[in-house]
Amino acid sequence: MSAATNRRVDVGGHDDRDAMETRIGATMQRALSRNIPGIRIPQTESDFDVGLTPKELIYSKDTARLYHYRAMQDEIYRVPLLIVMSPVAKGYILDLAKGQSFVEYFLLQGHDVFMLEWIGPRREHSGLRLESYVCDFIGDSVKKVQETTGERDITLVGYCMGGMLSTMFTALNPRAGIKNLACFTTPVNAEGMSLYKQWVDSEAFDIDRLVDELGIIPGDMVNASIQALRPLQKSAGDLNLLNNVENDAFVKAQLTFSRWAADQLAVPGEMAREMFKDFLKHNKFAKNELVLRNKTVDIGKIRVPFLHVAAEYDHIVPTDASKDLIFLVGSKDKQEIMIKGGHVSLVAGGNAIYRLWPKLDTWLRERAV
Amino acid sequence: MSEREQLDPIRIWREWIVKSEKQWSDHLTDLMGDERFSKGMGRYMQEGLHTQRMFGDAMAQSLSSLNMPSRTDILDIGDRLGQMEETLSGLQVEIREQRAQLTRLASTGSADPAPKKAPSRTKKPPVNSDK
Repeated sequence: MSAATNRRVDVGGHDDRDAMETRIGATMQRALSRNIPGIRIPQTESDFDVGLTPKELIYSKDTARLYHYRAMQDEIYRVPLLIVMSPVAKGYILDLAKGQSFVEYFLLQGHDVFMLEWIGPRREHSGLRLESYVCDFIGDSVKKVQETTGERDITLVGYCMGGMLSTMFTALNPRAGIKNLACFTTPVNAEGMSLYKQWVDSEAFDIDRLVDELGIIPGDMVNASIQALRPLQKSAGDLNLLNNVENDAFVKAQLTFSRWAADQLAVPGEMAREMFKDFLKHNKFAKNELVLRNKTVDIGKIRVPFLHVAAEYDHIVPTDASKDLIFLVGSKDKQEIMIKGGHVSLVAGGNAIYRLWPKLDTWLRERAV
Repeated sequence: MSEREQLDPIRIWREWIVKSEKQWSDHLTDLMGDERFSKGMGRYMQEGLHTQRMFGDAMAQSLSSLNMPSRTDILDIGDRLGQMEETLSGLQVEIREQRAQLTRLASTGSADPAPKKAPSRTKKPPVNSDK
């Protein structure tokens, strides 16, 4: 009798039924103890234990929150690190859990870490513009970091749209004390964001009506526009979760990433209007034609040491949208690193721990003294 | 992976979906980039906004007659809570600054115990640091 036939006979056997019952029982037990979807989906940040590295709030204005993380070494580098998060994403992706936290890693390497995070705007914030984020919030944060540390020099690190804002600030303020600038997956050329560009160019969306009607662009809408770039990724991720349901670490990591990806922040209407028209439609950032508070943002005026890290398989900010940044920046000391991975796995997860973080630390420590 | 799991057809289907997801997603994204699709979606969004406004206005009147809060009332409460949170954040920052000032004053006096020493900013990169 063949092996296949043997298996068919075994399926109906008592031993096999017992084994199946034991297996179902064990799976249910694990599910209950782990709160997998269907039993209880973790809802709050405390359910996921994210963002737990000790920190202090040192600046708060409108949608901006500046945190100073408690140093983990007695001797630290002279130049503090100010991380600027994307205004549509929550900062806890950089502080997921002990041993998996970007922030904790850099604290342990002896850096003094600050993070400028954002909260969802309220209706009274609908008038906040790109210049409010760049000139006011980043400007105030830089001053606050200088005041707190007593150091004039600062390293700015921007992730995604946070990189855009950091680049704009550095270009507009050559004497503000920015010593180094590092950007991760930072879009600069709207021509490289093909789907969004097609939507904008076809004039299918009346952004003015949308902003006038809603005031604030809801996080769900931001999330839907990101999902459109890879519509089945979430479903495939959920199926992959089922395939690995017995791997506790995988389940926790997958749920945390999924939750963060769906947890997009709303955007003030005026800023959305500017991003739509100035960045996507007219591509002013790449053409050095963007004007903030009557000053033109000329990326070529950036002269500080510059690092850009791009992700090879990034579908949110494809390399076509970010690759020009290194050429536009006017610094002599500039470098671009291409790392295998996607938009999120570049900064968090196993990929980041062994790839991005050590590379960034190596680049930073030479320039942080 | 056990032999049983290898022969699980549902698992095989799931793995196939996961592996071919990018291709399917690319096809869908191409479709969404089509001008007719974009215009259709734009029109749907405008109609949605109009419907939402009409429905919201009608609903607000009905809720008001039932002495129940409308969405706008809930948003108002949300905004007020947000303002309170912001005030608390401001106070938190203020308290931190006052505490830091007191610590500085204490360090100049002799009565209080010595405050926690701030880390020194003298760290140098390792000698064999990769360049």
